[in-house]
Amino acid sequence: MIEVLKTGWHNTIQDLGRFGYQELGVPSSGAMDLNAFTWANKLLNNPSNASCIEMTIKGPTLKFHQPTYITITGATMPAMLNSNTVKMYRPIKIQKGDVLQFSNVTSGCRAYLGILGGFETEIILSSKSQYKGLTLHDQIDKKSLIPIKEVPFIPKGAVLKTPLIDYQSIFLKSYKGPEYKLLNTQSKNRIKTLTFTVSRNNNRMGVHLEEKINQKLPEIWSCPSLPGTVQLTPDGTLILLMRDAQVTGGYPRILQLSDDAINLLAQKTTKDQIKFEIKALH
Amino acid sequence: MNKTLPFTFFQMHPNMILLEWQQEPSSGLLQELLFLKKNVKEHFNGISQITQGYCSLLIQWKDAITNLSDIKNKLIFLYWSLDFTSIPEKSKHWNLPVCYDKFFAIDLELLSSKIKLSKDAVISIHTQSIYKVYFIGFLPGFLYLEGLNSRLFFPRKESPRMDTPKGAVAIGGKQTGIYPNQSPGGWNIIGNTPIPLFDPNKKNPCFAVPGDTVSFYPITIEEHQLILTNGNPLSYLKEKK
Repeated sequence: MIEVLKTGWHNTIQDLGRFGYQELGVPSSGAMDLNAFTWANKLLNNPSNASCIEMTIKGPTLKFHQPTYITITGATMPAMLNSNTVKMYRPIKIQKGDVLQFSNVTSGCRAYLGILGGFETEIILSSKSQYKGLTLHDQIDKKSLIPIKEVPFIPKGAVLKTPLIDYQSIFLKSYKGPEYKLLNTQSKNRIKTLTFTVSRNNNRMGVHLEEKINQKLPEIWSCPSLPGTVQLTPDGTLILLMRDAQVTGGYPRILQLSDDAINLLAQKTTKDQIKFEIKALH
Repeated sequence: MNKTLPFTFFQMHPNMILLEWQQEPSSGLLQELLFLKKNVKEHFNGISQITQGYCSLLIQWKDAITNLSDIKNKLIFLYWSLDFTSIPEKSKHWNLPVCYDKFFAIDLELLSSKIKLSKDAVISIHTQSIYKVYFIGFLPGFLYLEGLNSRLFFPRKESPRMDTPKGAVAIGGKQTGIYPNQSPGGWNIIGNTPIPLFDPNKKNPCFAVPGDTVSFYPITIEEHQLILTNGNPLSYLKEKK
């Protein structure tokens, strides 16, 4: 059992996501940065879908009521175990009674706290990913107790073989969306060359950009949308849909982000800069 | 073959192909989309999911597509081999109780005065139509319904209400719909249904599927309360056919 002594900023339980229910209007959800999430489980030799705590900007303060192993991946978020600093991207042994505490991120936006065997929270439609209106809790609550598994730790040895995503990079590899062809040359050039700024309006549903596109495209018949879809709204705002986005939308879809770009964007926050790098698919 | 393919292909991601029909939504097109979707699922391996819009299908594979032209040819072949004229009619009709009392219908007064119809006329027109479920989106269990009588067309609110209640029956532009859960929403609320549209704890969280039809029947506020407090509200859902 883990006790939440203090909540951080926005901390949710996430796994790989909720699949097969998009036809019922259910977003896929899941960890925003699937790369960092996957590493958290790999380092603990967990099943690939074991749930982690996604910690946005600042993580919680947790008291462990049983021994276990944890790991911290993703954004650089300084952590203290009792009175010692802990390192990221490695398994950390936890004793009963230990207290883990986080400070604000110093780089990136979202860190992941992995735990041996995953967190034992409610499963709704085959996933533990918390989503408002679907799961009982939409984030980690103060004073709550989170059950964990009691499983032996079998170290895997191999760590960090593949290169991590460079969180400092501003380049989002993207593909042309279905309505890209409706853009005029000026808009296309702006999208290809401008450095955009992430606006305050950025969360698990989507990331809005500050710089606008000066072209009004007609609305389209509501059609499938998914994480990574870049929409252009009538007022010229670009919205980059993220993991909790609606499954259908009526705004023109001018780009589709690559999977790596979604993971990188998950680490961007207000005032961060991004640039689109449009790649041909074949 | 001289026939022209009615849809276009667009690869929007290494794993995804979008099929788009260049026509207006219609119940004929809906039948075609649903029938093709079912057959694609049966005839292709490695598909993770297929989502549907008014005029499109998005096919997602588990892995990156390596043989795009083969897949295109197979899809074209499958399309021409299907007999869309003999699709079995398996759709269901659902009759939902709605309370149009002013306690719930907070926008009915304004809507009725603006479209110059009495409140009773609005209710009567709203309950006499049969609506077709095109797809489910926006929120878990939100049905996109077609078939609103044009006399009830009324624009969405300038700024959305932050807390449209669960079960709210509303009109937005040319559409009518039911909010399966409390959420922000810009549509005009004309009533409320006590029937749950989405229950994530059920094997089938949503009773309706695309292709089904829906209608509404009026109930009093007392009946609304009775259904809500009843242990099995879905028993008040009248399924026909």
